[in-house]
Amino acid sequence: MDNELFMNTELPPPSEMAMHFEQPSSSSAMLNWALMDPNLARNSPPQDCFMWEKSTEQQQQQQSIFDSALSSLVSSPTPSNSNFSGGGGDGFIIRELIGKLGNIGNTSGDIYGAPMNGNVSRSASCYATPMSSPPPMMNRTAPLTEFSGDPGFAERAAKFSCFGSRSFNGRTNSGIPVNNGKIVNSGKLTRVSSTPALKALASPEFASASRPMIPAGDSTPKLPGEFSRKRKSVSKGKSKENPLPAASPSPSFSKTAERKEVSEEKGGKRRREDEGDEEEGNKGTNDTKPPEPPKDYIHVRARRGQATDSHSLAERVRREKIGERMKLLQDLVPGCNKVTGKALMLDEIINYVQSLQRQVEFLSMKLSSVNDTRLEFNVDALVSKDAMISSSGSRVHESGLRLESLSHHNYNNNSQLHTNVSSNNMMLHSPMKSLEPSALARGFTHLPTLTQFTDTISQYQMFSEEDLQSIVGMGVAHNPNHESQSQNMKIEL
Amino acid sequence: MASADKPINTDVPEKDVFALHFLQSLSNLRRQNTFNSPEKTNDRVKKIKKAAYVSMARAAGGTNRLWSRALLRRAAKENNKIVRFPRRKKRVTCLRRRSNRRDPVEEEEAERLRNLVPGGGGMGTSKLMEETAHYIKCLSMQVKVMQCLVDGLAPK
Repeated sequence: MDNELFMNTELPPPSEMAMHFEQPSSSSAMLNWALMDPNLARNSPPQDCFMWEKSTEQQQQQQSIFDSALSSLVSSPTPSNSNFSGGGGDGFIIRELIGKLGNIGNTSGDIYGAPMNGNVSRSASCYATPMSSPPPMMNRTAPLTEFSGDPGFAERAAKFSCFGSRSFNGRTNSGIPVNNGKIVNSGKLTRVSSTPALKALASPEFASASRPMIPAGDSTPKLPGEFSRKRKSVSKGKSKENPLPAASPSPSFSKTAERKEVSEEKGGKRRREDEGDEEEGNKGTNDTKPPEPPKDYIHVRARRGQATDSHSLAERVRREKIGERMKLLQDLVPGCNKVTGKALMLDEIINYVQSLQRQVEFLSMKLSSVNDTRLEFNVDALVSKDAMISSSGSRVHESGLRLESLSHHNYNNNSQLHTNVSSNNMMLHSPMKSLEPSALARGFTHLPTLTQFTDTISQYQMFSEEDLQSIVGMGVAHNPNHESQSQNMKIEL
Repeated sequence: MASADKPINTDVPEKDVFALHFLQSLSNLRRQNTFNSPEKTNDRVKKIKKAAYVSMARAAGGTNRLWSRALLRRAAKENNKIVRFPRRKKRVTCLRRRSNRRDPVEEEEAERLRNLVPGGGGMGTSKLMEETAHYIKCLSMQVKVMQCLVDGLAPK
């Protein structure tokens, strides 16, 4: 965007620009600057969004103002042909350059894509209008006063005006030595005039620094000098002219120019940095600019009154994540709903986990005590069954059926078991009625599949332990043991 | 920056899967000769407990869950076996960030929780919460299964 701006003002072939700036009378040059100003102002807000995270509404507002102003300008009659063609040529070149520049502004390109064209056409119209009648003057002053009336802008402009040249000096350190001489040159000028000259210097340097592609004329170190000279003359005229027609707009001109320049500088630096880490840049744009957010990132927006820097945004995302999971845990842990506060909730969760772990320990103790009394002698049967189970994987029903077939094999009750297979699920609640001998009953106990296993626990409590048929309620989990036990007993018998 | 969030998945397999795994590991235990010697009750308790945890880890998470991975790894270490799990995408090993802004009490609690949940040392707080949720589900399942077993095998 800023590159394009530079193109607008400086980069196009010097002859054209020179003609453009020198040919009109001083007042028209003035007008020219003034008319370009809206353009500048219009361009600068996006950078502001980068830099200052300025709200887009202001930009919108300005845009609308300038739009109205410009439209009136365009509609105003009699653009001179030569100028217009020059402007058109400018536009063309600019467009071409913009196309080449597209790669540089990766982050901003898509967002600013639309404004670019409009801008070009507008700049053309600006070039065209200087020869036109006074009415534009009226229109022109309106946005400018409006602009200077904006307190935030005035503040910023004041800041920039004081360190504009210094920051430029700072930049030359990183940049090309050629510029030093020119800075001295520009230092002679008044502040008002110096800024355009600075800009003239800045643009080629900036261009060469940021990208290899430069118009052939500009790459030689002399040409910028030409620029500055020509610009100086223009700006001198302008500075002479400035106090006369409009005293109030003139500071704002310089300020806008300076501001734009500085912001451009920063934008340029930023962009160069951003080429390294586009992520951050993207995020930055994300935070402030709703249109076209990259899809890879979560779109985080700060609500009113919330901090907007990346750290607090990240922290907020993190907290939200934790809160979400906390809710999940809250549902899992009994008694956690009554507790408020994260720390207390965590405490509750910890207690619950601990109690569960203790329970596991306790139960394993119990199991170990159970083991030696009753289960020791049927290890083999269990193992074989478990092998079956494991081979069948974790498919429950399957394993249940396997068990069934196994028991079926054991007891040789073919017909009975077949009926059992069919009435598998219905058997649960009234199994005893259909069963006569205990062996058969045991065969039946394998029918409730493991899915029903836990459902029947409560049922199991109802039955007396002594009752053989109570096995039915216990399900498969310990059935292998019992079954094998009975099997063993059978064998022993 | 937070990457695209996966939905929190704390689904746990059915109880019977836990039961099957537990029975299997129990039977494996019983096959061992040392297990049946009557004098080492403590040893047996430990073994059963370990079997319970390992079978739970196998049943629920396998190597997909951080806590189950940690459990299995620990168990394997105790058996002097070297296991290699398939690698997870990217694991940040040291996530214990200290920050002044965070609630110290909360952090302390989270730290306690980290010590309870296997493999919790390397988790960030949000991950820890997720794993804890899954772990709690699995543990309660395991407890139920074991309770059933104990009830079923209770001496008459």
